[in-house]
Amino acid sequence: MKVTAKYVATAVVAGLLLTGCSANANNSNANDASTGSTTLTAAYSEGGTTLNPTEANDVTSDTFVLAAYDQLVTYATQEVDGKKTANTAEIVPMIAESWEVSDDDTVYTFTLRDDVVFQSGNPLTSADVVGSFDLIAASNSASFLYGMAGINEVTAIDESTVEISLTAPNHLFLQILPMYSFSMIDTALVEENGGAEWLATNTAGSGPFTVDSWDPSTEAVLTRNEDYWGDAPALETVNIKFITEASNRVQLLSKGEVQLALEIPAKDVASLEETEGVVVDSRASNKILYFAMNNNVAPFDNEQVRQAISYAIPYEKLLTDVMQGQASEMKSSVASSTPGFTAEGNDATYDLDKAKELLTEAGYPDGFTFEFTLGSGFQDWSDDAVLIQAELAKIGVTMNITNMARAQFLEAIATNQVQSYISRWTSFVNDPGYHLGLLLTADGTSNYANYNNAEVDALWAEAANEPDQDVRNDLYGQAQAIINEETPWAYLYEYNIVVGLQEGTEGYTSYPDGIVRYSQMSVN
Amino acid sequence: MPETTRSTRSRTKAVGFGRLLLRNRLGMIGLGVIAFWTIGSVFIGLFSPYGATETAAGPLLSAPSASHLFGTDNFGRDLLTRVFEGGKISLWTGLIAVAISLAIGVPLGGIAGYAGGWIGSVIMRVMDVLLAFPSLVLAMAVAAALGPGTSSAMIAVGIVGIPEFARITYGQTISLKQREFVEAGRALGLTSTTIVIRHIVPNALAPIVVRSTLGMGYAILTAAALSFIGLGAQPPTAEWGVMISDGRGYIISGEWWLTFFPGLAIATSILGFNLLGDALRDVLDPRLRTTA
Repeated sequence: MKVTAKYVATAVVAGLLLTGCSANANNSNANDASTGSTTLTAAYSEGGTTLNPTEANDVTSDTFVLAAYDQLVTYATQEVDGKKTANTAEIVPMIAESWEVSDDDTVYTFTLRDDVVFQSGNPLTSADVVGSFDLIAASNSASFLYGMAGINEVTAIDESTVEISLTAPNHLFLQILPMYSFSMIDTALVEENGGAEWLATNTAGSGPFTVDSWDPSTEAVLTRNEDYWGDAPALETVNIKFITEASNRVQLLSKGEVQLALEIPAKDVASLEETEGVVVDSRASNKILYFAMNNNVAPFDNEQVRQAISYAIPYEKLLTDVMQGQASEMKSSVASSTPGFTAEGNDATYDLDKAKELLTEAGYPDGFTFEFTLGSGFQDWSDDAVLIQAELAKIGVTMNITNMARAQFLEAIATNQVQSYISRWTSFVNDPGYHLGLLLTADGTSNYANYNNAEVDALWAEAANEPDQDVRNDLYGQAQAIINEETPWAYLYEYNIVVGLQEGTEGYTSYPDGIVRYSQMSVN
Repeated sequence: MPETTRSTRSRTKAVGFGRLLLRNRLGMIGLGVIAFWTIGSVFIGLFSPYGATETAAGPLLSAPSASHLFGTDNFGRDLLTRVFEGGKISLWTGLIAVAISLAIGVPLGGIAGYAGGWIGSVIMRVMDVLLAFPSLVLAMAVAAALGPGTSSAMIAVGIVGIPEFARITYGQTISLKQREFVEAGRALGLTSTTIVIRHIVPNALAPIVVRSTLGMGYAILTAAALSFIGLGAQPPTAEWGVMISDGRGYIISGEWWLTFFPGLAIATSILGFNLLGDALRDVLDPRLRTTA
């Protein structure tokens, strides 16, 4: 009896061990990804929040919108050093085949193509353009841009002509139209389905891809629109997998299981570059990282205290130890690649003695304690916080770090009451007016640090209606000098946008918004 | 008189327990591991020339070497110092958490068992509700409600441990309630409270003591899990769960020591408590059975 039992037990254990040796069923997708040059699999860090063009604001949601929708106009592309990049200074036709501007620069007349058909089969007419702009004006998110573009009224002149009048000449108008927020929506289809809420989980566009399936916790699948009016995309299917762990994304890319990976941590760039079959595209961008100090919360209401902090930041260490060369110096509130950038008024360097001096002058010779809120999800933010905390401790300033999950972090800073935090920002429209307008004017919707300077507001308002670019840039320069002096933020660094690609994955074009346009991509 | 007999018996019991325990080899190993972590954590300041939050104490991300026995992390902080500093927090969290569970769970269980009837039912049903939640999820909910921090983690783990202790005490009380010395106490006119505190609880102690040592191990693990997901210790505090979480991204790039040593610390300390708990159970249970 005992012997039989032993044999049975051994057999069972052996059987269990053998099942572990069989190929992992989850890996079956790997084969699908590498066969066929018409399928691309990508690894993204976030699952996206909405498919509605007028409300989308994060990279993943924006990616879906740009795949499923078209806009009136779009940015031109160019090649710089052999790499494709967007030329945002040049606007080219998309749904609108041409346009005319009135002499006083306030009325734009767009002539629409007559062959644009929505994915539903409905043809695109001027009524849809007018309807789309109505949806934009009524939205929570894109309505601010509607105002920033200075749009006054949108009218349909005939089936294929639309007239947009502005409140005043506005150099940002044509720059904002190519954005995903200004996608042209199939208004008839939206009506049929009860209104704008339906757009959160459904698409009503005319774009090169359809969003076949979308599960924010696992993956989304884009399929080529075979009836697309424009150039057919090379890719038939795009699988976008949502992988929150950065090291997992890096692993998948180096194993060849995905052809494209976003949000590559700086520390993995070196090893990826040495991996066979992997290409790392790392380019300087206008994505900035700043240390915000709430101007309404003591002691950060004191300009000298803020300046003192800016002298205690170990700028070099952040660039070399944390970002390992995948970032560059940030010298103004505006990124260095933005036309109109100036570093004037910014003398901050890493100088603990100067920091201590300023603190004493400000009335805090023994330092002080403050609260810092750290949003999770970015390793470099966390590393920066620890390094800054260590340096501040040397001048007697105690920084209490509190971790917060990303969703809560975004909610918290939007209350404008967080005492200090780190955040990053990309201006999708590479213009100081757009950038400063959102971040550092008193009414800026992203001005969570409550920076308020009447002169800066006045300069910004004047520049907004100034048609001459040189005059504009001079005004923005003056605003920046004031901001650099008053130091509402300490400037940490400007990111490189790092994208990992499988060798043979062609067509990646770098845009300021960092969003991949899959209609341009192909896999060999 | 019941008083004198009980105290003489307890003294004999105690001496007997001690000898039996010392003879239990695995239990002694467990005790040794616990002593290692406790003494090491408390006196790390004397043993180590580095601070736990001292950045650039050594080269960044260097492997274990003579000057840094556990290597250094991405800020150049000495890992050995951090692991032992973390030991302080983990052990302290374990103690406080178990203390909370005991302080609330044991009296609740005792009252439920002794009073019986609807009071007992209500109390035990509430304990059942708490037990129905996966303990880590319950701990997460409590810690999230209290806000991130080490003290929140302590309270959360403490609350999660209450039902177990209540159940054990309840079971013990129910069986002890039937015993002669309880009847004798009632006959003598002792109040229920006195009976519960002076007679039932001391006799119910054995399984509670065993459960406490096992509970320490479990508390350390849960506290590390909470810190791993960001609900416990905040940077730059050294804590085992946080260190594993931070070191995760470095596993594939080859810096194995960042997660290995804190992980080893958690594993060995839990093992130590489990071995000690097992030994205590072996020592205490048979004795309980043989006592009248």
